[in-house]
Amino acid sequence: MRILDLAFKDLRQLVRDWKAAAFLVVMPIVFTLTFGFAFGGFGGEADPRLPVGFADQDGGALSRSLLEMLDQSETIHPIVLEAADADRVDEQVREGELAAAVIVPAGYGDSLLAGEPVGLTVIADEGSTGGVAARSEIQAAASRLAGAVQAARLGAQTFEERVGFADEAARQSFVDAAVAEALAAWADPPLAVQVRQSGAVAEEASAYGVGGFAHTSPSMMVQFAIAGLTGAGEILVLERKSRALQRLLTTAISRLEIAVGHYLAMVMMILTQLVILIAFGQLALRLDYLREPLAVLLIMVTMALWVAALGLLIGLISRSQEHVIIMSLALMFVLSGMGGAWVPLEYTGRAFQTIGHLLPTAWAMDGLENIVIRGLGLESALLPVGVMLAYAVGLFALALWRFRKVG
Amino acid sequence: MKVLDIAWKDLIRSFRSLFFLFFGLAVPLLMSGLFYLAFGGISSDDEGFDLSVTEVQVVNLDEEGFGGQLLVGILQDESLADLLHVTAVDDAASARAAVDRQEAGVAVIIPSDFTAAVTDPQGQAAVEVYCDPTLTLGPGIVAGIVRQVVDGFAGSQIAVGVASERLGAAGVTVDATTEMGIAMRYAAWASGQHGENSLQVRAPASAPETSAAVRIIGPIMAAMMVMYVFYTAAASCLSLLEEQEKGTLPRLFTTPITRAEVLGGQFISAFVLLVFQIAVLLGVSAAVFGIQWGAPLPVALVTLGMIVCAIGLGILITALLKNTRQTGVIYGGVLTVAGMLGMIRVFTGNVAGASGHVFDVVSLFVPHGWAVRGWLALQQGAGVSEVLPTVAVMLTVGVAFFTFGVVRMTRRLA
Amino acid sequence: MREEGAICVQNLHKRFGDVLAVQGISFDVQRGEIFSLLGPNGAGKSTTISILSCLLTPTQGDALVMGHSVVREPRKVREEIGVVPQEIALYEDLSARENLDFWGRMYGLRGAALKQRVAEVLEIIGLTDRQKGRVGKFSGGMKRRLNIGIALLHRPQVIIMDEPTVGIDPQTRRNILDSVKELNRNGTTTLYTTHYMEEAQELSDHIAIMDHGKIIASGTHEELVRIVGEMDRLDLVLSGDVERVLGEWQGIAGVCQATAADGKLTLLVDDSNLVLPRLFESANRLGVRITSVEIQEPNLEAVFLHLTGRALRD
Repeated sequence: MRILDLAFKDLRQLVRDWKAAAFLVVMPIVFTLTFGFAFGGFGGEADPRLPVGFADQDGGALSRSLLEMLDQSETIHPIVLEAADADRVDEQVREGELAAAVIVPAGYGDSLLAGEPVGLTVIADEGSTGGVAARSEIQAAASRLAGAVQAARLGAQTFEERVGFADEAARQSFVDAAVAEALAAWADPPLAVQVRQSGAVAEEASAYGVGGFAHTSPSMMVQFAIAGLTGAGEILVLERKSRALQRLLTTAISRLEIAVGHYLAMVMMILTQLVILIAFGQLALRLDYLREPLAVLLIMVTMALWVAALGLLIGLISRSQEHVIIMSLALMFVLSGMGGAWVPLEYTGRAFQTIGHLLPTAWAMDGLENIVIRGLGLESALLPVGVMLAYAVGLFALALWRFRKVG
Repeated sequence: MKVLDIAWKDLIRSFRSLFFLFFGLAVPLLMSGLFYLAFGGISSDDEGFDLSVTEVQVVNLDEEGFGGQLLVGILQDESLADLLHVTAVDDAASARAAVDRQEAGVAVIIPSDFTAAVTDPQGQAAVEVYCDPTLTLGPGIVAGIVRQVVDGFAGSQIAVGVASERLGAAGVTVDATTEMGIAMRYAAWASGQHGENSLQVRAPASAPETSAAVRIIGPIMAAMMVMYVFYTAAASCLSLLEEQEKGTLPRLFTTPITRAEVLGGQFISAFVLLVFQIAVLLGVSAAVFGIQWGAPLPVALVTLGMIVCAIGLGILITALLKNTRQTGVIYGGVLTVAGMLGMIRVFTGNVAGASGHVFDVVSLFVPHGWAVRGWLALQQGAGVSEVLPTVAVMLTVGVAFFTFGVVRMTRRLA
Repeated sequence: MREEGAICVQNLHKRFGDVLAVQGISFDVQRGEIFSLLGPNGAGKSTTISILSCLLTPTQGDALVMGHSVVREPRKVREEIGVVPQEIALYEDLSARENLDFWGRMYGLRGAALKQRVAEVLEIIGLTDRQKGRVGKFSGGMKRRLNIGIALLHRPQVIIMDEPTVGIDPQTRRNILDSVKELNRNGTTTLYTTHYMEEAQELSDHIAIMDHGKIIASGTHEELVRIVGEMDRLDLVLSGDVERVLGEWQGIAGVCQATAADGKLTLLVDDSNLVLPRLFESANRLGVRITSVEIQEPNLEAVFLHLTGRALRD
């Protein structure tokens, strides 16, 4: 009973600071929406594809065909650049207004038709995924256009060999018709690649990514759960500084009960926060957390357990409010950054992915993404839950050991 | 002189403070170092991302056909060993299940009629690429390679089809031998494509020549620096509240010193502290990560703008807070949120599908966003005239915050 | 206003919203004397001190400190005073020496003069050996000494001490009282606030008793005690209904004043020899047992009780 009394006392103190309490719920929602929009959430944009500048210095039919092929891409959409824009194209790519730009040189069409080597200039930052994706699409479109022209040339060659053209005009007419036919065939090629994605959000996904909120919802949940430790940690510090802890130790409550009481309050605070954020994700963002309610519950509980244990440790180690803030925020940044809450671990090297998975944040992300993105079942949550539980036990044990020396 | 005494006293206290040493210097460098480590797989010859290996399971249901074998052979080629680890499996269901279980990132399923479709002018087939939805780059690479091969075959088929159609329209019959000839000539042309009609890719001009690693770490370091400079400024200004609570500020007011001298000393101390912090962060990041921050004069201007802005915000926050109990909300809340908004572009700018322009605008609603903008421009080689508007905004906002904050503080301390 | 005194307070008022914390007080402090403001918590002592220290401006009235007005010449006033606040006001992350150095500069000391004076003050407060230690690690007594030492740096004409002995151990308290006397021997004027009657009695040349924002009595210790004349103070502990007994005893001849608090009865009587038997008889009649009797000669506690009907420490 005393444990519960202590826990409710802590909760009362936490809730009394309603601004801090509101922050813990409002901020993750705001950031989920903000970053989710950034990553294409809601999908309501006019054209969510990567913008790619198109500077046509050729002006011929084939360069126009290239433009049409690029426009049919699911990943990029071309923006025709006027001559005046051409000077700014490097700046636009540099500043991210364009994912890339393609410059069609003068004589491009003629060179293709003549079977002479000709290249397109592509301006892209190959250090960015947008640049890499854009380059790949441009390459594919250019190859198909070249293929269409080559098909027409081969046809013309064969005709020349078998029948012969009356004149150059007849040949040109043959080639033009053949190119048109080939391009039409490329619009729906007989041999194609079908990209499919497993998981719950597959129908909303583009070929190169998932719906924006599916990543940011779990990531903000993880990050702001740790941020919330500031308030809880301060209660412990103030209890020591005001000598209330020393007074508590003169009563019939044991150190273990005191530790568990504080811990319970933190667990309840974090769980409440997670419940609200899961509900927000489910109802407002249409992320299907509740397709596996038991799995999500287990993940939430174990997340609350290890984060609260961390908070208990921070509160016991810190000597002042300032220390609590430093540690909570520093841990929030480090654990979130290394655990893949900011940038998915997929973009990092193998070493970093391994290091990242030494941290409970990465497992929390894995657990939630298994449910909401990959569409997996309860069994997919078991390993993440197990790892987080181990962290909870370890951190709590460390906190208890520390508590023996305090007061 | 007393202004300087107060400033000196505050500086000593700041340098002895765990907060400044850890938060002001160690954490931003640590965070950037972590990201440097994270993206450390980037190749030194600057070809862009060098990812960890993607696990691929390939199911060749077209076992007897050359089409399937060619595709499998290309995927398993030694030259792709750094990117793909390809395992051949027998059935499609288990390959997809492996992706579902995250044992593989991609499954490539070649249909049994693939070669038949390749050799039949009317044939149709589709190669399935089944991916883990949380992965982007690996599946993109695999899909790109598969598409290139498939397009090669499709191009050959289209060439045959178009030639047959056109010749047929002219009354010329195209027999199988002729079709074969066309197909082979197309294939010969296609295999030589890579060298002759390739793209010439270059990075945007005017940016300083930097490695891909620096192009990623540079903006991150700029964002971290901005975030922690604003934290430091706030901490320095909030020490006034702490002094009020501990009684040293009222005591100071029993000595022959004016409020202006106290606030002036506070400002000088914060200014010097931030200059020191920025100098250390710029110096260490340039030396360790190789980040090029730009020419001295524009760097000095952006530094000045950011410092004035940060101190102004710090004084404003101090004037609005009632006591030090609220500092948790300030650091954990206001400053963290503003910092994250200010650097949003840094983390979303590189991802396909990002609404870059909108978030450029959103980030400018907070002072951090202007500071990040200034530093990113410097990294792109911006000169004085290019950073001047950003610096002007920061100075204006900073002075406005400072004025409001000082007026309120003076009334409070009166 | 007479200007030859160290402090001259005339008709000082201070209002906080609806609360009148100081209501028209006036008093003079002569140069070189120790003047105590004695009163319970909430009497207005700290508010008065804050006004004289130029931390608050009076709503009405004025005060001169060494001839300078706290309203019109606060900076000059602050040059003349050294303030020892009730709460310890030190920079805990600086050393003792660094604290003295900084505060000395705030008082206008510089260079060699500052250095010398810091050394002197460290000697006075007995912290020479700990001068490089961080204040945060000092004991409470050491912090108190340093807290006082800071006020002495610039050799002020007037030292204002706001309840400097609250919550400290007897030895440190003894040290502080001895320091105050030592300062006084050196000619410093001290304005001392306290709610401990013994301190006021021991230290002061003049005492002003404050209650509810007013000075209710002022003078030397002897003059104040004369207010209660030869009255004796009796403190009795009873077993039984104290309130019932109180009512009865207020009517007994020779009892000038009677109050009850915490199960104890406090009486001011003409002559304890005559009144005590009457009290015992009454107690017997009421069936109440007197378990303890304490007789005290007239003192400031009695004066306060006589003037306000309440104990000084209520």
